Parts: sequence; C-alpha cells; structure tokens
Amino acid sequence: MTFDMKEIVNGVIKGKIDEVKALAEQALSEGISPEEISSQGLVVGMDAVGERWKNDEMFMPEVLRSAKAMSSGMDVIRDQLAEKDNQVGTMVIGTVEGDLHDIGKDLAAMMFEGAGYKVVNLGVDQPSEVFIEAVKEHRPQLLGISALLTTTMPRMGDIINELKEAGIREQVTVIIGGAPVTDDFSESIGADIYAPNARSGVERAREFFKKKSAESGSN
Amino acid sequence: MNQSINRTPRFRVLSDDQIERIYFAALDVLERAGAMVFQEDALELFRQSDAVVDTNNRVRVPASMVEQAIKFYPRKITLQGRDGVRSLHIQKDSASFGTGSDLPFCYDRKTGERRRTTLADIRDAARLCDVLPNIDFFMSHGIASDAPLPETYDRHQFLSMLEGCTKPMVVTSVDGEGLEDLWRMACVVQGGEDEFRLNPLFVAYIEPISPLKNDRTAVEKLLFAAEKGIPAMYTPCPSAGATAPSTIAGMLVQSLAETLLAVVLCHLKKPGMPLIMGGVTTVLDMRKSTYSYGAPELSLASAANTDISKWLNLLMFSTGGCTDAKIVDEQAAAEMTTSLFYASLSGASLIHDVGYIDSGTNASLEALVLNDEIIGMCRQFCKGINTEKEYLALDLIDEQGPGGEYFTTDHTYEHWREWFLPKLQDRSDWETWVANGSKSMTDRVNERTQHLLDTHETEPIPEDLHKAIKEIVDAADARHAG
Repeated sequence: MTFDMKEIVNGVIKGKIDEVKALAEQALSEGISPEEISSQGLVVGMDAVGERWKNDEMFMPEVLRSAKAMSSGMDVIRDQLAEKDNQVGTMVIGTVEGDLHDIGKDLAAMMFEGAGYKVVNLGVDQPSEVFIEAVKEHRPQLLGISALLTTTMPRMGDIINELKEAGIREQVTVIIGGAPVTDDFSESIGADIYAPNARSGVERAREFFKKKSAESGSN
Repeated sequence: MNQSINRTPRFRVLSDDQIERIYFAALDVLERAGAMVFQEDALELFRQSDAVVDTNNRVRVPASMVEQAIKFYPRKITLQGRDGVRSLHIQKDSASFGTGSDLPFCYDRKTGERRRTTLADIRDAARLCDVLPNIDFFMSHGIASDAPLPETYDRHQFLSMLEGCTKPMVVTSVDGEGLEDLWRMACVVQGGEDEFRLNPLFVAYIEPISPLKNDRTAVEKLLFAAEKGIPAMYTPCPSAGATAPSTIAGMLVQSLAETLLAVVLCHLKKPGMPLIMGGVTTVLDMRKSTYSYGAPELSLASAANTDISKWLNLLMFSTGGCTDAKIVDEQAAAEMTTSLFYASLSGASLIHDVGYIDSGTNASLEALVLNDEIIGMCRQFCKGINTEKEYLALDLIDEQGPGGEYFTTDHTYEHWREWFLPKLQDRSDWETWVANGSKSMTDRVNERTQHLLDTHETEPIPEDLHKAIKEIVDAADARHAG
C-alpha cells in the first residue's frame, strides 16, 4: 500500500490537528522521508491555505487551525529534519517588559509555526536579558519582538542594542510588530523586518531570507 | 391624573432574563477561572478577604462578595470643567459624547498622510472640542510622541488638554503615580482635594487586559482612585474570537467578569468610590486581523452592555462615532452614524471614541467635526415626541382648517426652532448648490474644521494656576530624568 501525500495536504487545509500528526507518523513508518513529508505534504497544504486566505476563501480561525495542524506534523519529523543541514528554522518570540499584551504575539507565533518554524514563546512582560539569553540558548534564525503600547515600544530598540553589545546581533534576524509600530520606527531601531499584521509576518520573513540568500549567492 | 410617559425612545437588546443569565455566568467565571492580578497591594486585599489567591497571582472571588460590593456604587456622577460649569451629568438614559484617547497617529489633512501625534495636535483637538457644541467631554484623542520622557508623557498630555479645552475630561495615565499627578493638577484647577471630590474635573480611564488579566499599572490606578474618591472606569476591550469567545453572549460574560473583579477590588479598598462600568466589545476581523471599530457587533454588544449596566445600577461608558475607514469617507460616515445612534438609543451614560479612524490607531480632526453633526441628529431623535395639548395643536388645526397654511402662525414661530438645524448637511436645491460651488460634505467638513481651528481661542488657564500646574509636570520630569 502506498501512502497518499494528498491526505496530509488535505488534513492541513482542513485544520485536522490530530489527524495530520497521525498521518505524519504513518508516513514515516512507511519509509517516506521527512523531507518529502514536509515539502510534498505539509508545505503544499499550508501554501494552499495561504493562497485561499489571500483570496478571502479562508479566514483566520481556519487558517490558525491549519497552522496548528502543520505544526503537529512538523513536530513528528522535526528532529530528523534538523539533523540534516538545519532545514527547519527556530523562532524566539516575546512581548517586551512592562507590556502584558500577548494576543498579537501569539498570533504571530501560530503563523510562524504554520510556516514550519519551531517557536519558542517567551511570554509577555519579558526584560531584555530574557530575550538575549534565549537567543544565546536557542540560536534562532528569527527573533520576534512585540509591543502594543507607545510607552513600551522603545524597549524593542533596547533589546536590539543589547544584542549588539552581546555580539550576537548578526546571528539573528529581528522581526517586530505591534499596533503603534511603523516601517520608519522599525528602521530607526535597526530591526530587520516589520510585520504590520498577522499575514505579512511570514511573507516578509520569507522575502527577507530569499533576498539575503540571493545576495550572499552573488558574492 | 396618573400617567406614564416615555420621554425618550426605548431601545433594548437584552431582556431581564437574558441579563440575569449573563450576570450569573460572569459570577461563575470569577469563581472558576478567576482573574490574574499583578499588583501586590491588591493581592493582599484579596488575601485578607474571602477571595482565594493562588501562587500564580490568580484571584477567584465568591459570588457573595460581588453581590455585596455592587450595591455600593453611585448612580450619578457630575463633572465640572475648568469653566466652572457642572456640565457633565453621568447617569442612565442621558447620553454624553466625547473623544477617545491615545491614538498613536494623527491624520494630517494638509498632506493626506498619517504621522505621529504631537502635543500640538492634542491641543488642536482640545480646542475643537472646546467649541463643538455636541462634544461634552474630552479625551486626549492622540498620544503625544514629543513629550520629553515616556514615563511622564501623561502629565504633558493633560496640560495640553487643559490648555485647549475647558470642558470635563476623561484621562489616561501611565501608572498610579501618573494618575496622582494628574489628580493634583486637577485639584489645582478645582480649588483643592475636597472640591475635586464634590466637583470632579475628570474620570480616570483604566483598562484590564482581556482575557481576565489585570496589570500592575491598571491596578495601581484603580486603588489610587478608590482611595481618593476619583471617578474611574474599568473598561475591558475584548475582541470576540481572539481575546474573548466569538459569541457575543460569551464576550459579554467575560467582559462583565473583568469589570466585576474591579467592582470587588475597589470595594475592598474603600467602599463607595465613583466607579463606572465600561467595555469596548467588538469583533476581531477574521480577514485582516484588526480590532474592528466599525462592526455592527460593536454597536450590538455595546447596547447589550448598557442594558446590563442599568440592570446592575452601574453607569456605562460606551462607544460610538468611530470607524475602521482610513480617511473620513462614506465608510466612515456610515459606521460612525450607526454606532452613535445605537449607543444613544441604548441610553449609555458616556459615549466615547468619537473621531477614531483606522480601527483605533489614527486620529482625525475632521471626523470630530462630522461627528458633531451626527450627534446632533442622534440627540434630536432621542428627544422623542411631546404629546401634551400644546403639541397636539388641535385648536390650531381647527383654526387653519382645510386649505390653510402654517408658515405664519404663532405656533410655528414658537416651535419650529425645536427642530434640528444642520450646520453641514446640504438641503438646498440643485441650482443653489451649484451656485455655491457644488461642495461635497467632505468639502464642507474640511472648511468648517479649518475655520474653527483658525478662529477659536480657548479661555486661557489663569496664570497663577497654570504656573502651579506646570510645577507638578516639571517635578515629575525631574523625578524621572536620568
């Protein structure tokens, strides 16, 4: 009996969290490679979800369940994928000190999980040291910083400065978000990416890495 | 003669039975889920009471505590602006209208761009609200980006508000210390702490974080307000489907539970403080992930909250005159009108966020001017219909008889001015409209906004008072500098 990858694709699209996990396990046990499960199954499903979301054919409650389904499948294959040339990204994300708002950050975390990232969610009201330590410990590709208040927004710049002081600014891409944030602000504090809403974060990160790898390729 | 007259139109969205179900469910939430409280004094007050505090700062409150506490709040609060007039009567079925606060951006009408709000923008909004007849109270509209320190921006903001507007206010503050400074500034204006208690200048706006979290700064402010008898409102801002259940009833239950926690806490601190119920209850747009200020669900849930507030004998801080539109366009007018009408009809005490555009992120002065006109229409509708003898006009109809006219009668001369007289809406015939430049509503709104900004000068704060207020601001800066 051959495994039908379409089942994983459809499971992701329909947001069947437990089913996708079971399907990924089944596929592995039938000898399908983790790369194939990811690229032919989970990613295909999530790409379709992204397309449907863009066309107003799917909405956030459905999209986020799909993201969870994607993530449940990724959890099954992550360790084996990671052993081979680090194909899967890690993201550390948190809300700055003095700010207890977590919904925007959690939304972003779910979206990045849906894009295949392993997400380390630091929570809210986190001092700079916690961000710095987490970057050192998890060595993520992405650091997400969130602030909802204009009064707490400057702390995002503080964290970036402390990354520099710790000598680890270059090893991580910083993405920021929150209602009062703008492109100008993002640039002024030296962030790499600004995500104005839930949908654009993953897209902008993807573009950023694409551009970066094209640049390094041409060097 | 016994008679029962409805002076104002009646509009309800919840029956008593439905309200009771929501209220009982909210009591249940406080016994089961409880709420997180991140402030030690408050936790200690809860520990000394029959509430249960666990190691994660989670507080669960028995229903009996809520039922006792809720009886102690005033059913009316009267504010007095710095003009010395006790103009703002906060009570049920008597809607007053005002701006919202702390929008990070302002719409620059000269460039058509949005930019960071400055203290000068806040003063301009204050001046406009000082002169617009249908704006009853002022909130900052914007959040100042050019104050010297983030820790003290609220004092600078409040000074700009006071300079620009003589009406009563609703204020936001950084934390408990910030509220104390604003209160001391207001006490200078009102003539001392005792006078402020009788004639408060402002209500302190305070909000929890949905779902069911109370951060340190919010709780500090509540406790300080309770201690000093400063009117305050606790306003949950849940978004259905994200930070609250997606059903309106579920969102109302959670929002009420969040409010009731403050009801109990303030009672533990000092019974009888002037606390106002709030709730900006709306949906998160599931396509754009924005907190919607123009959704019909905002109006429906807000009206329901007002029904609940009246049943509980609490005052209600409601929402209207706001929009998700990026500029003051047809969408803005439709959404602002809808929310203002339903909030008025529901009989809320205070209706705020007038002039919010771009889903609560951008401030428009033109939107204030347009809303002033819409509020005028709401007020006219809510006056209802007088059916006393003079108004039935039976003798007059008989006098004029079939084929008569009413233009020139004394009755018309005396009563027609009770009608709403629009300032901005055009009711002219085509030829007159063309002759006057074929102006759209947008043109007229822009012109009136500019005209009012060019011509209105607010009565200045007396020099000695201004100096005393400024000293409080400077002292705050000095404490926080370095």
